[in-house]
Amino acid sequence: MSTLIDAPMADAAEIRSAMEYYARQEWTDGLPVVPVTESYLEEFLARTRRDPDEVLFAVPHLNRRCTVRLAAINAAMAGCLPEYFPVVLAAWDAVAKEPYPRKGIWQSTTGTAPLLLVNGPVRERIGLNSKGNVFGSGFRANATIGRAIRLTAINVFGLHPHKLDQATQGTLGKYSACIAENEEESPWEPLHVEHGLGPADSAVTAMVIRSCLHIEARHTSVPEQLALDIAGTIRRTGALIHETSSALLVLGPEHARVFGDAGWSKDDVRRGIYEHAVNTRAELAAVGKDAISRHSRWRLPNGHPDAMPDRASQGENPDRVPALVSPDALQLAVAGANNAGVSTVIETFGVRGDTPSIAPVRDLDV
Amino acid sequence: MTGRERLLDPTGFDEKAADDTLAPRPAGLRGLTIGLLDNTKPNAEVLLTEIAGELQRRYGAGKSLMYTKGYFGTPAEEDMLKRIAKECDLVVTAVGDCGSCSAATVADGILLERAGIPTVSIVSDSFLVSGRAMAEVQGFPGFEFVAVRHPVASLDAEQLRERVRDVLPDVLRILGVES
Repeated sequence: MSTLIDAPMADAAEIRSAMEYYARQEWTDGLPVVPVTESYLEEFLARTRRDPDEVLFAVPHLNRRCTVRLAAINAAMAGCLPEYFPVVLAAWDAVAKEPYPRKGIWQSTTGTAPLLLVNGPVRERIGLNSKGNVFGSGFRANATIGRAIRLTAINVFGLHPHKLDQATQGTLGKYSACIAENEEESPWEPLHVEHGLGPADSAVTAMVIRSCLHIEARHTSVPEQLALDIAGTIRRTGALIHETSSALLVLGPEHARVFGDAGWSKDDVRRGIYEHAVNTRAELAAVGKDAISRHSRWRLPNGHPDAMPDRASQGENPDRVPALVSPDALQLAVAGANNAGVSTVIETFGVRGDTPSIAPVRDLDV
Repeated sequence: MTGRERLLDPTGFDEKAADDTLAPRPAGLRGLTIGLLDNTKPNAEVLLTEIAGELQRRYGAGKSLMYTKGYFGTPAEEDMLKRIAKECDLVVTAVGDCGSCSAATVADGILLERAGIPTVSIVSDSFLVSGRAMAEVQGFPGFEFVAVRHPVASLDAEQLRERVRDVLPDVLRILGVES
C-alpha cells in the first residue's frame, strides 16, 4: 500500500455518506453521483445566459418539466464539469425537438436510450472523444454528458426502471450515450453543416436509439460491396416493429474513405444502401411480419384480425419490401479511429426522412 | 472553498394537489350509455366490445359508443375526453399492454373520473406497476384499475372471452355495481 505525498486530504466517510443518501433517495442510475450544493450549482448556471426557471423539456402526461436549474443539478450529479453545461443544454433542446420522447418512448417496453451526437469546435474545447473507442468508456465529457440526460430522465421525469420505465430489456447505451463526430477524418461535411449550421458552430443532435450493430468489412475497397454489406444489417427483420426502419450509420473513417475515394457523396451512400435494404415478401411472411396493423401500423402476420396490406404490397413490385421508407431514413456520421474497416449501424426510433433533431450549442462565450 | 451546504433535490417534484375523488357511482347499469375508449392496441377493440356485450346482456346496460385514441402512448386529447364525458354515463378503456400505454390508460381513467364519469381502465397484469406509478404522478395514488392476465395482443376470440369472464367481477366492483 502506498500513499502519494501530494494527494489531497478528504473525509471519505462524509463523501460516502452523501453518496449513500442519494442512493437511498433513489436519485441515481445505480452508479454513485457527485454531491451537489447551491454553490456548485451556481458554477453551472454561470455558464449560460438562460433563466434557471426556463423549461427545457416537458412531458405533460407525466406532469413533469425539466428546467435549466434541474438540468444543471443533474448534470453536476452525473459528473459533468461546469464548462460542459452549454452542451447539456443543447442536448435538451435537441431532445425537445424529438417526436418520441415527449410521447412516452422512455416508458416503453422497446427500451430505448437517448443518443447524443456532438459536432463543431466544442468537441475539442471540452475533450469529447470522436476517435478510437468512441462508443466506449474513458472520456469524461462523453461519459457524463450522456449520463446527465439519463439521470434527469430518472430524477426529474420519474422514469425509474420497474416503475414508469417498463423497458423489457433496455439497451446497453442506457447509462450514457454521447459521441462526437470525427469531422477531421470524414470525406464529407459534418452532420450539422449538412443540416444548415456553419462549420464554426457547435451543435448536438439527439436520437432515440435501440440496437448498435457492428459492420466488420476489413478487406473490401469496393463501395458497392460495402453498401451491400451494410444494407444486409439494416434490413434485418428483427428490427421491424414499424412498417419500416430507420438508422444512424456511424462509419469508421476507413469505411467513409472507401466511399469518399470512389466519389460517393453522402446521398450516394444513402441511395446505395436504401436500394439493397429490401426483404422479399416471403422473408417477411416467414417471420410473421408481412402485413401491418390497421390501427398502429406495426408489422404483424397477414391473417391477424388487425392486419392490412403494407405500402409495398400496393406498389409495382409487391414482393420487394424496402426496409427504409426513403434514403433519408438513414443518417450518416463518421466516428472512430482510422485503423480498421469497422462501422456501426445504430437503429433509431423516430425520424424517417425528416431533418434530425439538431440544436446549436449556445453561450460558449459566457 | 465553500463550507458545508445542504444537498440539493434533483427531482423538482412539486406535490401536485392530490385529487383522489372518484365520480359518483350509479345504482345500477340499466339503460346507461357505455363509452369504450380503444387505445388502438391489438385486440383492444374486441376486448372492449365483449365487455360492453356482457354489461348489456347481464345488467341491462344501454348502447355502447366506441372512441379511438389518436396515439396509445399518451392520454386521450382533451376534446375527446370532453366528448366522452358528455355522451356517456360510464367508460371502459383498454388495453394498457405496453410501457407507455399502460400508464396512459390509467391516466385516461383518472382524467375521466375527474370529469365525473365512472371509468374502468384495463391494463395487462405485466404493467401493474407502471399503472400505479402513473396514478402517483397524476396525484391519485390509490386509483383502482383492472389487471387482465398478460398477454392480450396474441389471443383469439375464445381466449379473449375467457379473459373478459375473468375480469368482469373487477369491472363491476370498480363501477360500484353488485355482481
